[in-house]
Amino acid sequence: MTDMHHSKRAAEKFEALLEPILGAAYGTAYHMTHNREEAEDLVQEAAVLAFHAFDTFQEGSNFKAWFFKIMINRCRANYRKRRRELEIAPLDDAPDLYLYIETSNAGLQARNTNPAALVINKMSEEQIEAAIQALPEEYRIVSVLYFMEEISYQEIADILDCPVGTVRSRLHRGRKLLQKALWQVAQEHHVVAALGAEKEGQLR
Amino acid sequence: MRQMDRYDCEHVFKRLDDYLDRELTPQEMKLIEEHLEICAWCAETYQFQAEVLNAVRSRLQRIPTSSRLLAKVSSALKKAQGEVSD
Repeated sequence: MTDMHHSKRAAEKFEALLEPILGAAYGTAYHMTHNREEAEDLVQEAAVLAFHAFDTFQEGSNFKAWFFKIMINRCRANYRKRRRELEIAPLDDAPDLYLYIETSNAGLQARNTNPAALVINKMSEEQIEAAIQALPEEYRIVSVLYFMEEISYQEIADILDCPVGTVRSRLHRGRKLLQKALWQVAQEHHVVAALGAEKEGQLR
Repeated sequence: MRQMDRYDCEHVFKRLDDYLDRELTPQEMKLIEEHLEICAWCAETYQFQAEVLNAVRSRLQRIPTSSRLLAKVSSALKKAQGEVSD
């Protein structure tokens, strides 16, 4: 078989593996960059890098984890630069059950069986993204992979090249920080006040 | 080492995230399930955390793929393939 035939077959195989995960890759890239065009560029750059490194991919192993690893490594350098541009203040720590306590204090639990979903579903896409953006980088990457992809701790550890214990502890803290960030954004945009007013209206 | 035959609230609370993610051993999952059946406070906490997780997930997963993406990636790969075969 000629080199050209070999390279054509490799390219077809690569594209067949890439296409089904493009949507997930784009979603993850979007949450990482907070910008649609940058997310497209990131996926495109990662696709080219992965294509050139395709001979290092072990057939039968997890292509998605392999591709995501390349994409996230690429993203990290770009993202550091962007974070400096955005000047987002990282969150401090958050206590356990942050949303539970806050929704209770705001009186949202008494008449709702699902107060957290009520707040989260009332928020716009931009507001949800703002909460994600407020997470420190190491927690954000783990949380985005976890929430977006529903993949196992082990798979996240493989993508990020870190021990499973690190994924577990970052995810634990990341969830708490995300609850705090969601609540803060919801308050800043008067989502909580609007829900309280709706409740008042229903009581009258 | 002797295995625990029952979890208290503290044990359950520490493992609630891992329970939610099904990242525990079958034995640990069973011990937590048994506790949630008899402890209203832990069951309510678990329910709340599960709802937060589901709500965040459903919102985050609703990012529509850009129609330009496939074209951009496809064109970049064609270029890269050309470079490889040259």
